[in-house]
Amino acid sequence: MTWRLFWQTLAWNRTRLALLLLACLGWGVLIPIIYTGFSDAIREMVNSGMIPENLMSFGSGNFFSLPGALTLGLQHPLAIAFVAVFAIGSPVAAVAGERERGTLEVLLSRPISRRWHYAVVAGAVLVMIALAVTALLAGQVAGAMAVGIADELDLGLLPLVLANGILMWGAFASVALAASVSFDRAGPALGVALGFLLVNYFLEILGSLWDAAEWLQPYSLFHHFDPGQILLGDGDPLDFAVTGLALIVPAVWALMVYPRRDLAAPA
Amino acid sequence: MESTIQPAIETRALTKRYGSVPALTDLDLVVRPGEIFGFLGPNGAGKSTTIRVLLGFLHPTAGGARVLGLDALDESVEIRRRIGYLPGGIAIYDSLSGAAALDYLSDLQGRPPVRREELCERLEMPASVLRRRVRDYSRGMRQKMGVIQALQHDPELAILDEPTEGLDPLMQQAFYGILADLRGAGRTVFMSSHILSEVERVCDRVAIIRRGRLMALHGVEELLARRKRRVQVRWRGSAPDLAAVPGLSDVAVDGDRISGTLLGDVAPFVRAVASPSLVDLIIEPARLEEAFLEYYADEPAEAEDR
Repeated sequence: MTWRLFWQTLAWNRTRLALLLLACLGWGVLIPIIYTGFSDAIREMVNSGMIPENLMSFGSGNFFSLPGALTLGLQHPLAIAFVAVFAIGSPVAAVAGERERGTLEVLLSRPISRRWHYAVVAGAVLVMIALAVTALLAGQVAGAMAVGIADELDLGLLPLVLANGILMWGAFASVALAASVSFDRAGPALGVALGFLLVNYFLEILGSLWDAAEWLQPYSLFHHFDPGQILLGDGDPLDFAVTGLALIVPAVWALMVYPRRDLAAPA
Repeated sequence: MESTIQPAIETRALTKRYGSVPALTDLDLVVRPGEIFGFLGPNGAGKSTTIRVLLGFLHPTAGGARVLGLDALDESVEIRRRIGYLPGGIAIYDSLSGAAALDYLSDLQGRPPVRREELCERLEMPASVLRRRVRDYSRGMRQKMGVIQALQHDPELAILDEPTEGLDPLMQQAFYGILADLRGAGRTVFMSSHILSEVERVCDRVAIIRRGRLMALHGVEELLARRKRRVQVRWRGSAPDLAAVPGLSDVAVDGDRISGTLLGDVAPFVRAVASPSLVDLIIEPARLEEAFLEYYADEPAEAEDR
């Protein structure tokens, strides 16, 4: 019964999953190619003072090393939009969306506790996030191989990057699911989850572009997803702890709130 | 002697408030196993709130409810394993075909859909229709899907919120047939309805709820026996003396016609008018609608849905 719910939750997303995994893969492939093609030119422009160096450090990434470029690719708005479809969109649709459509009532009239429902949805969302981050990383490795620079990467450290990515995106998904179980409509839940993501992104980018705001960066979850550092063998265990905690706290909150909520008749 | 048979549904002083707004107040209800129980009330009376408490969707403010002997709050999952539920204005997964939606809901129920084929046949949902996506279904077809998903696993207790809403008269008849079979098989049905003729026709007992309070709980026959009914006689010659007929009131004489309202047993009235001078006699059947309206005589405009 639980597996059926799990597979169906994945099945609802199968079309967008297929399309976005291809997009993630494609975007991943492009990053090493862009890095190989443009990093020298960009470095020259920075050295000549045409572009302030700060602008080359977007988030935790940069264009001066392959690991830095990969980080840039993973923190690019396009990559964020791809993964956010699963980390924000799917959790919101799975509970608040079903509630709004009226189907949650039919679903929960089956012998499924709300905690199990939450756990199954969370599991399916984590699988989708893992697939998306894997597709991004696989694309990057494939791109690096294609342009012959894969030896600049310690591929043995990729599982750590994957784990860090899943934890960070899992934290955003956890906030989205907590919002999803708290609202009767998808709109407010989506607003809260997207707002949280945008604030985190804003803090990270602002801190990377403006020295005076650098102190804001540790308050962003994006700051604690640093593939470049991990690939250089310099990963910070604190990043895993912070993203892990950010995943667990909303989950505990949601597991307490969801079973206690009154589910009145859909309007 | 009090029956020791475990009720299918039992509420004790069930109270639910939304903030300061009372939706249910001290509701005491017992639904016996094997009966078809009608739950009547206008919009906002608390019918859906009661049903949602029984399913564990809402938490009572005070009091409690037991379904099939299980606590509605603490043993809700086990209750839902054993019941079938049709929500009011049901929504079913639009992107799935009818058959896939029924399969999915049956799998989640964890019990085989032993009655699906029969229900589909009776409600005229052939395989060709079930192959289509739910989004292409009419309102009536969605309602039929709702009935099928609620009953396909042959539950011990069916909780049906406005089950015939959206069904055409032919399908309503088919549904009544299904209810009759459920009764024959010893299943219990708890159904809310606005359609009084339907409740009168299919239910064994009926509860009338108003503003969250139970107004009446009777057998349908008992309820009808307590209702006034219109009577009319046509007479040849001088009018009979009906003054001694118990329960007769509002007597009006219009030429050779006498009309009035009769409360209670009709036998004394029939005896009083039985004579060769009687030309015509009309005793209108007592309607549940009158009973219902009597309870709601001073009900203001419809309250908001609860």
